[in-house]
Amino acid sequence: MKNPLRQPALVVVIGILGFMLAMAFNTTTRLQGAQPERASDLASVVQDMEAQRDSLEIRLAGLRDEVTALEEIAATEQGIRDSFTQQIEVARLAAGLTGVKGPGVSVVLGDGSDVIPGTDPNLYLIHDSDIAAVVNALFVGGAEAVDVNGERVVATTPIRCAGSTVLVNARRLGGPYTVNAVGDSDALYESVVDDPAAGLLFEAYRTQFGLDVSVTRLDEVEVSAYRGSFRPTYAVQAEEEDV
Amino acid sequence: MGVLVLALALGVTLGLLTDIGVPPEMLTYVGVAVLAALDSCTGGVRASLEETFTDKAFVFGFLTNMLMAGFIVFVGDRIGVSELYLAAVVAFGVRVFDNLGVVRALLFKRRGWE
Repeated sequence: MKNPLRQPALVVVIGILGFMLAMAFNTTTRLQGAQPERASDLASVVQDMEAQRDSLEIRLAGLRDEVTALEEIAATEQGIRDSFTQQIEVARLAAGLTGVKGPGVSVVLGDGSDVIPGTDPNLYLIHDSDIAAVVNALFVGGAEAVDVNGERVVATTPIRCAGSTVLVNARRLGGPYTVNAVGDSDALYESVVDDPAAGLLFEAYRTQFGLDVSVTRLDEVEVSAYRGSFRPTYAVQAEEEDV
Repeated sequence: MGVLVLALALGVTLGLLTDIGVPPEMLTYVGVAVLAALDSCTGGVRASLEETFTDKAFVFGFLTNMLMAGFIVFVGDRIGVSELYLAAVVAFGVRVFDNLGVVRALLFKRRGWE
């Protein structure tokens, strides 16, 4: 009698079944093998990090000692004197007590010529407000030092009209006025030319009234030191603070 | 009978030797597929003994069993009822033992042990 179980398809599928069983077995074995491995990996990572931490702690202790030593040095008289000198240097620079030089712009403001008869001659002149606008625009552009005809603009500097002249730092100046500023020359140039008030001088007024004005970017500009004095009568220091 | 055991042994050996595995998250699929194949094979043996075996019905049943089992696991995972594969496991398990009972009875009959 022929064996009814000799079906090729059945044989093949049973082979496939066996293969799949082995596959599942392989996966499970691998899964079980992988977990302890991973745990030991993590353990070694922890050990590495602990070693790293220890060495960092040693380094930290060394750095702390260094800081303490440096603090002791700073506490000596010489150290105090040095730090004061440094602070004073910074303060003098900020207050405008030192002449400075660096990249920047030079703005020339000259009166217009050829007054057309019948028009207001005031329109052809440079006024204190024009200079103030230019100075303000320069500070807007990040100027670090500005002077007008050699008169340094400091925190208490007024710019005002005095007849046919302009008063800066209580010194009478006559045109043409040269405003020098130290800072990023491109930024200063753009700030002056684009300023709503000062910009008019170089565009509309220059062509309309023939003003002799210009803005020049320079690699090196010199700005004078403030020559006046500070004698505060009313102002006293509000509170003690480290500079 | 011996041929079938041989085929099974050959498949297992081949699988172990090639050491092919699947990603751990696919293990459920393989397990259910194994059960589906087991169901098909016992069903095949039973049909052979009953002299109703046809290649077409067997192969088709084998493939649809596996696909359906895989689909149930997939759907279970997607709808957050990952235990849905148990439905396939139970159904196939019941069928495997059902088939096994019939096969045993038929074999006994053929050998005249009754």
